[in-house]
Amino acid sequence: MLASEKLAIAAHLHVLLRRKAGRVTDTEWMAINADYAAEMVRVARSAAQEGAHADLAEWADKLEQAWNPRPAAAVSAREQALARVGLRAAAPASPPDPEAPRYIGGLR
Amino acid sequence: MRARVLGYGKAFWVAGWACLASTVWAESAVVITRPGLVPEARLNPADTAWMLTATALVLLMTLPGLALFYAGMVRRKNVINTMASVLAVAALVSLLWLGLGYSLAFTPGTPWLGTLARAGFAGMDYVKDGAQVAVSHLAPQVPESVFAMFQLTFAVITPALIVGALVERMRFSALLWFAGLWSLLVYAPVAHWAWEPGGWMAQLGTLDFAGGTVVHINAGAAGLVCAYVLGPRQGYGREPFEPYSLALTMVGTGLLWVGWFGFNAGSALAADGRAGLAMLVTHLAACAGALTWMLGEWVRRRRPSLLGLCSGVVAGLVAITPASGYVTPASAVLIGAVAGLACYWGATGLKRLLRADDSLDVFGVHGIGGLVGCLMTGLLANPAVGGAKGQLVVQALGAVAVLGYSLVMTWVVLGLTRVLVGLRVDVASEQGGLDVAQHREHLGA
Repeated sequence: MLASEKLAIAAHLHVLLRRKAGRVTDTEWMAINADYAAEMVRVARSAAQEGAHADLAEWADKLEQAWNPRPAAAVSAREQALARVGLRAAAPASPPDPEAPRYIGGLR
Repeated sequence: MRARVLGYGKAFWVAGWACLASTVWAESAVVITRPGLVPEARLNPADTAWMLTATALVLLMTLPGLALFYAGMVRRKNVINTMASVLAVAALVSLLWLGLGYSLAFTPGTPWLGTLARAGFAGMDYVKDGAQVAVSHLAPQVPESVFAMFQLTFAVITPALIVGALVERMRFSALLWFAGLWSLLVYAPVAHWAWEPGGWMAQLGTLDFAGGTVVHINAGAAGLVCAYVLGPRQGYGREPFEPYSLALTMVGTGLLWVGWFGFNAGSALAADGRAGLAMLVTHLAACAGALTWMLGEWVRRRRPSLLGLCSGVVAGLVAITPASGYVTPASAVLIGAVAGLACYWGATGLKRLLRADDSLDVFGVHGIGGLVGCLMTGLLANPAVGGAKGQLVVQALGAVAVLGYSLVMTWVVLGLTRVLVGLRVDVASEQGGLDVAQHREHLGA
């Protein structure tokens, strides 16, 4: 995963934690320090459980996934089947991810 | 501008015919080449009424249109500072304009600058007993007080636009010094070049009906320099800077849109068919700009945003500004459509290339939109509409000259301001927000 993608996920989690748990985090550090990121994932999951914030848990998962990419064995059977016949599972399209956090480095 | 001068000539003849009904023919045939007193009967009441209305509309663009538009896009902790900045710039520049700027811009002088003949609020005379009123040679059918006030609203909104590039980190005192100096040293000369018939751009035949070059390229270039000189905001590019309320931005967009009818149709300086067409093409370009920006965003980001729609409206309005008295409705749609896409790129791709923290994309929208409008006026100006044929090379020359002058002089003015009061707030003030740090005020819960 690109560093910028990791930073984007960290920024989104930063916003959610501030809004939903009142917790202020260091976005940049979350994207470059694995220990800090893991701790923030733990904090986010805990806050998500307490406040029933599904999106917080979802973005905690995304950050964890960004730091610990899924091993090949975990790839779904459908994706493996597609790969065998020469097709790829729906790859990320070239346009920016619409779910990526906005307002970093520009408003528009 | 040449066609605009022709427009004034047409308005003059309209005034002449009105005068014929009430006064002596010989008097109305005198061509006015500089500001002076004329019998009040020579005014055109319809033109005067429209210019009064248009003036109010253009002021509405700044207060509260632009203030709301910008305040909605900054973070919550800087909303009051942003609104205060626009309001203070409007008040300061108004006094400076009538005190000095108007005279430098709109009196005959050299091709580069006017004279001090109208400085110090001079010449706005109305003598009730003798039924005499001062008029400008640029609009002899309306009182000079109305013409000067109409031009004031343009002088006010131009530095107010630059606020968008420097918000969230500039000292309030520095902003006031900068806006005052910039208005006199940058805006007034450029307005003279393009809009006073003796100005070098007007002589060359550069077409700028309502300020694509004078207002938008000028403000866009200045905004870019401000962004570079001030440097990025703390956390820029690393943290999301969430806009306070896009609802405010939408309300501001609506006010800008309606006010722009005064901006463009008022620039006909007469209540005539050209003003009507200018209003129509203004609306069409705004709609086209909104839709192409929306489409661009839909394709690139898979979702259209409200901010994108608002930005597209402004992009279309900016681009039609220089062309509004010269083009047909079909051309206006084309100009707006191109501007919507070009400004979308300006505020996203180009912004990343330039690496400047132009907070609210003043260069991306006003600079790029102004350039698109200026060049497309050269391509699409229809002599049947405005009496002038566009010349692409002449338009490009005017755009480059204003861009270059504004880039250099803005840098100089910022340097002067830095020496006088410093430019940026300290880090703690920036992190806590300029509302409290600069004004000791904050938004309610």
